[in-house]
Amino acid sequence: MIMELFSEIYSCYYQVLRHLLRSQDTLTIQDIRSRICGEGFEESLLSIIPKLESGTWNLFEKEGKLYHSRLSASFTAPVSDLEKAYLKALLSDPRMGLFLDQEQLDALGQMLASVTPLWRQEQFCDFDRFADGDPYEDENYRSHFRTLLKAQKQNRYVDIDYSSPKGNRVHHHYVPARLEYSAKNDKFRLLALKPAHLPHTLKRRRERMNTLPADACFKLELLNVSRIQSIQPLEKTLSSPVDIDAIIQRSYYKEPLRLRIVNRRNALERAMLHFANYEKNTVKIDEDTYECLIYYNQAMETELLIEVMSFGPMLTVLGNDRFLSLLKARLHSQMLLDSTDKTK
Amino acid sequence: MSDFQELIKSFPKTREYVRDFFVYGFKTRDEFRDKSPRTYDNERRRLESWLGSYVRKDYAPGGSNISLAIDSNLLDTNPLFRVWKTKSFTDNDIVLHFLILDLLSDGMKLTAEEITGRLLTEYEALFDIQTVRRKCNTYEKEGLLMKEKSGKTVVYSIDNSLTAWMHSNEGILDALAFYQMAGNFGVVGNHLTEQLDHPNRTFRVKHSFCVHTLEDEILFALLDAMNRKADVHLEMKSSKKGAVNTADCTPLKIFNSTRSGRRFLCGYVKKSRRFTCYRLDTVKAVIPLEISAEYEELQERLERNRRQLWGVSFQGGSGHHLDKLTMTIQALEPSEQYIVERLKREGRGGTVTRLEQNIYQYEIEVFDCNEMLPWIRTFTGRILSLKCTAKSVERCFYQDLQTMYQMYQTKKDGSESSPK
Repeated sequence: MIMELFSEIYSCYYQVLRHLLRSQDTLTIQDIRSRICGEGFEESLLSIIPKLESGTWNLFEKEGKLYHSRLSASFTAPVSDLEKAYLKALLSDPRMGLFLDQEQLDALGQMLASVTPLWRQEQFCDFDRFADGDPYEDENYRSHFRTLLKAQKQNRYVDIDYSSPKGNRVHHHYVPARLEYSAKNDKFRLLALKPAHLPHTLKRRRERMNTLPADACFKLELLNVSRIQSIQPLEKTLSSPVDIDAIIQRSYYKEPLRLRIVNRRNALERAMLHFANYEKNTVKIDEDTYECLIYYNQAMETELLIEVMSFGPMLTVLGNDRFLSLLKARLHSQMLLDSTDKTK
Repeated sequence: MSDFQELIKSFPKTREYVRDFFVYGFKTRDEFRDKSPRTYDNERRRLESWLGSYVRKDYAPGGSNISLAIDSNLLDTNPLFRVWKTKSFTDNDIVLHFLILDLLSDGMKLTAEEITGRLLTEYEALFDIQTVRRKCNTYEKEGLLMKEKSGKTVVYSIDNSLTAWMHSNEGILDALAFYQMAGNFGVVGNHLTEQLDHPNRTFRVKHSFCVHTLEDEILFALLDAMNRKADVHLEMKSSKKGAVNTADCTPLKIFNSTRSGRRFLCGYVKKSRRFTCYRLDTVKAVIPLEISAEYEELQERLERNRRQLWGVSFQGGSGHHLDKLTMTIQALEPSEQYIVERLKREGRGGTVTRLEQNIYQYEIEVFDCNEMLPWIRTFTGRILSLKCTAKSVERCFYQDLQTMYQMYQTKKDGSESSPK
């Protein structure tokens, strides 16, 4: 048995060709070009087109300037041993029950009976994962998760009864936009679109001229899936698609967090990896000093502040003013506590 | 650059470049000192070709530098998976791949001779039998084809039942869309979502480090050795100074930090008779050695030791076997109960005791309290006292705090000034 991660059978070129070859329509070279441009790498065109034009890759029948696939429409690439071993490993993941019921899990298990899993859960340990992960085996939780998943795919409104972390009961209509999993918290959160209360004049203008983009009519809220008390899918669906990324990007502060990193105690490498999750831009100032810009929004602020504080004096916050004052407030509180302790 | 090729033969060479661009992202051409300028240019061009939309160019005093601008809040998949899809191949490889799989897709069982003949008659493709047989045998080893022997005849066929089951099962398609972002070897899940034409439009993942995928080949080799209970020889390159070193160990577990983005192999080193953790991103090669006779016993010992492990260090600097850390914090009741909750859920088994109204004590005994400092600092603003039997930890915490007071010119009266 060979299991190779880096194999041509998974290559981008094979993937592009598979899509082209499954098409039963007659293709022009321009159709082929646009497909390669859409799915391939930036310079793939230069390699693939000459091979097809010359017939070196004899996978199309050429009729003048038209190309017909030699393959049947039902062409399917079989699952490799590596992929089977991956699927077998997933079967032991507690989150798998969110997606498949017992009957489906058994059916998949049977098909993979002779396969050795690519890894076993006990071979890994997330040593700093929080202890209060979501209850993936709880039937109520599973049912809420599946309802959200279905509604998200159908762009359907749902009626959610939610218990907020502060203990308030909230009841609203939302459209599930994404389900976000946090590896650190071991929790799912719902990125939910909530109709925004637009000023009356703006609403009327939108109605008249249809000029306001759909995403401007919603605001994004984060709900912990485990805090959802009940959920009901509604009849109503979104009338036009909402650009969730535009909403997220719009939520970022205009002024990013500006950090100065002096490369001592391996701080640079640690910081670069630690903040690799955020959109950032790092510039070298001199031999040992770097400046890093990190883009974030209000929802990420406390977590980012905590992350920055964990580095102690290895990082210096230069701005923005808002972040700087949050950090200073924490230090000020600490200084007051230091004095309190000494007086005891 | 006439010899430029978009695809590559081997992965490790490119791995370091992608890592440097992604993790750092401020290195100019001159700073890639280990490589020739020509190599740098070619690697950079490849990276731009594979990851075009994520590549950002900046102009720095020492020359321009490129970096990858990846915002994980906006990702439906890991862009670095594309690096795994760059393996070069021959003309025969790609043609035979599609034609053989198409020919056998209706469940027929054919010999290599029959396949060769039908490739010619049905697809006008001429190949010699040896080439076809070699490809069929390779695909049998990769699990794409089944091979059966009946007497002296060897026949090849395809079993597409699993693919068909997955195609018709929305649950598994959704699961793959999720796990390709959120689990180990996400790149394999990503291959499957592409094969099944089910891209992720539902899930986002926080605190998952894209760059981990670059270590998957190393992880794969380590898991293989762990499954066989075999020792390994590791070749490593330090991330700090680039020094090359080696180690022989029994690989036991993979430790992953969801906060710092570091992954480690925890192994037992016979020579020093100690458990040691090696960062996966520093491991350049894994060479399997003999089967370990004491594998289960070592695993049990590791499990016992893990209770006193805060992170990945089995020995602190104090000379004690275990050190005790006690932190007293202020959390106003009832409004700041979330702080107490934080101590419980992030405290890795430490005890949390309410001493009096608004005052809580957290206590734990671990091998190396020094590893706890980054977490302890996250409670800055609430810490009434920190005591540790490793005095250096206590000193480091308070010295760092004093340094920060100076950096931000913190004053008791709360008057403000800019950082130094």
